[in-house]
Amino acid sequence: MAVALWSLRRIGAALVTLVVVSVLIFASVRLMPGDYIDLVLGPLATEAQRAQAVAESGLDDPVVAQYFHWLSGVLTGDLGYSFVSNVSVTDEFAARLPVTATIALLTIIVTLLVGIPLGFSAALRSEGSAGAVGRIVSALGISIPEFLLAGVVVFAVSTLGLGVSVGRFAPFAVDPARFFGALVLPVTVLAVGCVAVVARNTRDAVMNVLVEPHVQAAVARGETPWFIIRHHVLRNAAAPILTIVGALIAVLLGGTVIVEFVFNIPGMGSYLQTALGRRDYAIVQSAVLLAAIVFIVASLLVDLIANALDPRLRLTGGSRR
Amino acid sequence: MHTAARAGVAMSAIAVLALTGCAAGASPDTEPTQEEAAPGFLALADDAFDDGGDLVVQVDYDTAEAGGLDPQGAATARSWMLEGLSYETLTTIDENLDVAPSLATSWKTPSDTEYVFTLADDAVFSNGRAMTAADVAGSLQRLIDTPTTWTGQLGPIASIEETGDLEVTVTLSEPYAPFLAALANTPAAVLPMAEIEAGEIDITTEMVGTGPLVATAHRQDEEWTFKPNEHHPDAASLGFSTLTIDIVGDEATRAAALRDGSADFAVLNSIDSAELLANAQEVSVVGQKNTDFHYLMINSLTGDEALQDEDVRFAINSAIDRDAINELAFGGSTAATGVTPAGLPDSCLAADLPSAAHDVAAAKAVIDEVGGLELDLVVYTDEPVLAQIAQVMQQNLAEIGVTVEIQQVDYATYSDQVYGSPATFDLALSWFAGYADPAMVTTWWNPEVAGFSAVFMKGSDELDGLIADGYSTEPGADRAAVFENLCAVADEQSEMVPLVLRPSTIGWNTESLSPTLSSDEGYGNFLRYITQFRAS
Repeated sequence: MAVALWSLRRIGAALVTLVVVSVLIFASVRLMPGDYIDLVLGPLATEAQRAQAVAESGLDDPVVAQYFHWLSGVLTGDLGYSFVSNVSVTDEFAARLPVTATIALLTIIVTLLVGIPLGFSAALRSEGSAGAVGRIVSALGISIPEFLLAGVVVFAVSTLGLGVSVGRFAPFAVDPARFFGALVLPVTVLAVGCVAVVARNTRDAVMNVLVEPHVQAAVARGETPWFIIRHHVLRNAAAPILTIVGALIAVLLGGTVIVEFVFNIPGMGSYLQTALGRRDYAIVQSAVLLAAIVFIVASLLVDLIANALDPRLRLTGGSRR
Repeated sequence: MHTAARAGVAMSAIAVLALTGCAAGASPDTEPTQEEAAPGFLALADDAFDDGGDLVVQVDYDTAEAGGLDPQGAATARSWMLEGLSYETLTTIDENLDVAPSLATSWKTPSDTEYVFTLADDAVFSNGRAMTAADVAGSLQRLIDTPTTWTGQLGPIASIEETGDLEVTVTLSEPYAPFLAALANTPAAVLPMAEIEAGEIDITTEMVGTGPLVATAHRQDEEWTFKPNEHHPDAASLGFSTLTIDIVGDEATRAAALRDGSADFAVLNSIDSAELLANAQEVSVVGQKNTDFHYLMINSLTGDEALQDEDVRFAINSAIDRDAINELAFGGSTAATGVTPAGLPDSCLAADLPSAAHDVAAAKAVIDEVGGLELDLVVYTDEPVLAQIAQVMQQNLAEIGVTVEIQQVDYATYSDQVYGSPATFDLALSWFAGYADPAMVTTWWNPEVAGFSAVFMKGSDELDGLIADGYSTEPGADRAAVFENLCAVADEQSEMVPLVLRPSTIGWNTESLSPTLSSDEGYGNFLRYITQFRAS
């Protein structure tokens, strides 16, 4: 019963957050300087052309009416139409979302496969030069922003070749090899920071568990290191690691905007950036709302799973004592 | 991983960074070449080159007009180029920027206001219907009846008549020298008017022209694919089987694609890209001259109050070192210009402008009189060279006591600040398409005609009169004299100040493509000779 109540409260909070976010998104987009009409018609357009475009795009309605029109559309699955291409935003998202989801999924997989073992390794060998090098590399990985790393990679490829392609993306249905080939560099760039973050947090989480009395007792009983990790460390360290992986989803949402643009990948990130530059409101609003939904749902799932793994969190409202 | 192995990885990473740095500075002479392969051409397609392959071109941005794909509403250079693959015009521009025949195989001018066009008898729209005189007359009439940006460039058209099966006569209400040049750009394309009027074709979503290519797919801001128009006279001799145009926003990515062969041809814009590709044996990078030019806007209406004074504006103008801009931002590959683009017939000489004396002391004295100035200078981030020009100007103006704060913003913000009412900037940089006749761009110095410039400049009756004279005077010495005067007056008023021409940097993969590329261009159409390209 307590679990159900806690979960309902958590879901209710997530819904309220979404409504607030939708208002903030709508207001933010409208408050940005410059608008679609000026951009697409250009400075040479006549007043009559502007008036016609404003009327055709519904931008002459009161802003509040525009918000509720958009919100009602969202609730019924109609995200509107791109001002520029006049194509349904839902259709555009359907074509691009799988690409971004694949990038994010691959990045998460690489992050988990590399970051968690690295973190464990660093925790178990925290003393000495190996631990120091690990900390430096980890700090470097966390510090380098995606746009810089992506720029360096493209620069290296454009000056040295290196036998790696940065262009010619193809949809999976057309050419699976080219699809995955085009994602190698973006995923690598995104994974660098994520691996560093997960390795660092895994190391800290594991080290925190290693000093707890029950682990010390197990060591005193002469249990093997692998047995101690499996039976005493993994479960206790899982919750903080899971939390940081959830937070990484937000990082990835921002990171894909950069890497998709730089590596010419037609996903949600590059689409959002282009739409933002053109003040293509329907796309920007819906894409940011979608990102918020993904983040909120991911956070919710992480909380629910963490609670299942560690019941103490329920009693403390989510914080560890 | 052992410590030694970790150190090795770190050292490798450092080595890669060092190598990339070395490569960038490998050659001290890496400006894009402007050397001609033949008079008027930077490259000529080699007939012996293996052909019939897929041609992949990467460009920096897509079409995005409110009117969709309707060529009459095309307002940017990329739209002119992309839509120009499927549409043709009555006239075209040759490698010398002279007007040449296209859908009109010839024309006569019985008087200085009358043009009689003889039409090609083998022009067929991509839907298989032969072009008629009614299509030509109807297309021009549509452009007049539904005004777009280009309508004003066509001049004072009094009537358009079909005077034969393959003959159309256009009568102007007064002489207008740029008329034939204005017909040469995509917005003046000939459309399948019968189908449009019958509602059988939505010209905003489908391109049906007499041009060499037919669009088969388009994803906005992502990709275009074209196939040959089987009805075009050059269809059988096209040197490629399909054309893909990728929209790739990042310049370094386009350079990398040229190197790894995933693109055959790309517009690079920045001369720095030539340096990026300096050690790529299989990539050629050239600088195509353009009549386009960069200019400075000085807001005399709603900017700093001191900018309402013509002497202050002229002091700013005369402190700008065009040669320094050319050297530092363009590697010496361009040239200073006046209102009429340098290099076009009858254009004024930048060296003859009043501001060319570059009298820093005199300029400083004017600024000292108003107690010095602190101004903002707005540029947009899509065009990185604008920031480079701004930095040179910042140093120039510091010498005369003007402190400049450079603001780099996205284009939407820029548009709001510069073209919004009221305009909220002191100084701003941008560029104009220069077209193919020196009179055409002068229009923008008349705020009443241009519209967009009315929010930041006053203009003058004197200048408006000279602009009108430039239009109506036949090419030759008389027109050159008008332009010399026009350039000088605009220079003294210093509301929109021309700086330097805006060349294009273009690259192609020599292993996979043999292109034809003119040395100069008036409408930003570097695929003008696409029918001669040969891709393996």
